[in-house]
This record gives sequence, C-alpha cells and structure tokens, in this order.
Amino acid sequence: MADRNNQPGKDTKPAAKSLQLKVSSPFTVYFNEPALSISGVNGTGPFDVLPGHHNFITLLDACELNIRTSDAERKIRINGGLMHVKADSVAVFLDV
Amino acid sequence: MKRLTEITEEQTAMQSVLGLTNVFEGLASMRIAQVKDQVLSSQRFFNELWAIYSQIRVNKQFSYGRNDSDKIIDKDLFIAITAEGGFSGDIDQKLINWMIQSYDPNKNDLIIIGHHGALQLTQLGIGFKRYFKLPFHDSNINVAPLIDQVKQYRSTIVYYQTYVTLMVQDIKRIELHRAIEDASQHADRDNQIISEETYIFEPSAQAVANHMESTMLQITLTQTILDSKLAQYASRFRSMRSASEKADETNQSLKLEFNRTKRYVADERLKEVINGLRKAGQAI
Repeated sequence: MADRNNQPGKDTKPAAKSLQLKVSSPFTVYFNEPALSISGVNGTGPFDVLPGHHNFITLLDACELNIRTSDAERKIRINGGLMHVKADSVAVFLDV
Repeated sequence: MKRLTEITEEQTAMQSVLGLTNVFEGLASMRIAQVKDQVLSSQRFFNELWAIYSQIRVNKQFSYGRNDSDKIIDKDLFIAITAEGGFSGDIDQKLINWMIQSYDPNKNDLIIIGHHGALQLTQLGIGFKRYFKLPFHDSNINVAPLIDQVKQYRSTIVYYQTYVTLMVQDIKRIELHRAIEDASQHADRDNQIISEETYIFEPSAQAVANHMESTMLQITLTQTILDSKLAQYASRFRSMRSASEKADETNQSLKLEFNRTKRYVADERLKEVINGLRKAGQAI
C-alpha cells in the first residue's frame, strides 16, 4: 500500500510499537488486545496497518484478516466490514 | 369414587406434565438471559459505531444508507413483528389490531414477520407486501432483505412486542429513524470532526457513511426483533410457570384423593372382616 506517512493529519507523536486492536461484530468480540499489525483487503487491494499509521477509515471486502501479535499470528475470515484507524487504535466493525 | 390404580396413573401423568413444564420454563428463562446479553452486546457495538459516524456526518440527517440518486416510494412502510407459532397468547392479536387502526393501503405498505401475524392478517383479508419468518436463532440475524425494503420508503414504522418484566409484556410502535436517534443517546460524544482533510477514506466518506447507516439500521431492526423474541420468551415462561403451578396443585389434590381412597378401601375391608366375624359368631 502507498506510504501514508507524509500526508496531512498524521499524528506527530512518536510511533508506538503496537496497535490496540479490536475486531467485533454486533454479538461477538473476536479480538481485543495489542497487536503488531493487521492486514486486510479493501476496494484497492490488500493493505497492512502498522503502528504510526495515518488516520484511516475503509470499507473491508470479504477476506481473511491477518493479525500479527508479539507471539502469534491470528487469522479471522470475514464477509466484509469497516476499519477505523486513529492514533494506533484500530477498530474493525464486522458486517452482520 | 376413582380406583387407586386410576389415581396412580393420573399422578404419573401429572408428574410428567410437571417435569415438562419445568424444563420449558428453564429453557425460556435461559433464552431470556441469552437475548439480554445479545441486546447489550449489540448496543455496545452500535455506540462505538455511532461515535465515529457522528464525527463524519456532522449536521446531516440520517439518510438510511441511501444514495442521493435512489428513488423513494412516497409511502410509510409498516413492519409488524409477531410470533412464529402458538404459545404467544393474545398479544399478537392486540398488535395486529392496533396496527390496522392506522393502516391505509393508499399510504402504507405492510411487511409481516412471523407466521402467527401473517395468518391473522390473511383471516382479516388484509394483504401484505412481504412475509418473513421470525428468525429461530437469537444471534447473527440477517435483516439485509428487510433493510433493502426499508431503504425504498419515505419512512418506516415498526410494531413489535416489548419486554417490560418477566410477568409483563406490552406492544409498542416506533419510527425507525426515531429508534436510531434514541439508541444513539447512549453513545459517547466526541466533538472532533472526521473529514477528508484529517482522514484517508476508502472508497469515499459518503460510501463509508452509507455503510455505517446500513449497519446501524440493521442493528436497530435486529434489536426490535430481539425485543419481540424476549417478550415472547417471557410470555412462554409465564404460561409455563402457570401450567407448572396448576400441575402441582392437581398433583397435591391427587395425593389427597389417593390417601383418602386408600383409607376408604382399608375401612371397607375392615368392615367386611368385622361383618364376616359377626356373621360367623351368630352362626355358632
């Protein structure tokens, strides 16, 4: 994915080493803990979110979310949803 | 007077009824707890989503996830949520009667959820545009086909059963956009504005806002369906509790009758023995 670091709105504080990530649907929380990165697929193709990412909101296509933590990798298959990234906090709202 | 064997058979049957009603009562109680959890969980999800949405759609009306080019049917859509089968008492009938008081075929279209309500409308000779089965499961309810209908109309009014307490259920009507506004009152307010100057949107801010509106509509409709189901479980729980109490009372009466009959039989035998002895004494 294109480098977003030089775009306006980027947080000026130093990049944290991890993201606070929550993946949930209306009835279930699938993941809610720190992560090193998350990868997914949107209308433009596959993308990754790492600590220090620009503020970002995207619709997600049906795909497999790939979450990397300090000690493991977790995959969550989704039908679609929405991802909100702000100040190293990532919320993924899955479609019902 | 009944024979002892007959009373014993009745007692056994009543024990089975008592056992069954207890099981149904337990099941209803368990489903109530599960549905309550689901409602709380979806409300949390809604609040988090609304907090973001309200920063994107500042000073703009909720537009049901429609695009500006979408054509709108100039009617109000009525959605009635009723039970799928029996055991629902007269609450569905009340709901349907209440709804048809406001129903005007020139101004409204009807969508009915639940077989019980559809049956009642058919008996009344009132046609409806679509019928959906009431979902059996309490989670992952797919309301997308319903949302597709809602988006086509000027406004939507939902008639549904609501849970007041375990012993009290009521009927309610709510305009969908009002329900969304009400639900959003619990969400945290953030005064920040999310715009294309401060955020990257993919594919666009409008598409993201539309998607959020659709999702919030889905959650709100799902919650009304869950509220209806909660009321139905509570109604079933109440019926089972009353059936269980009645079975228990009958069982106690049968026990008394059994003991009375047993004593009567013993007395009769004793009388026969005494009479026999008397006759034998007279004969000697």
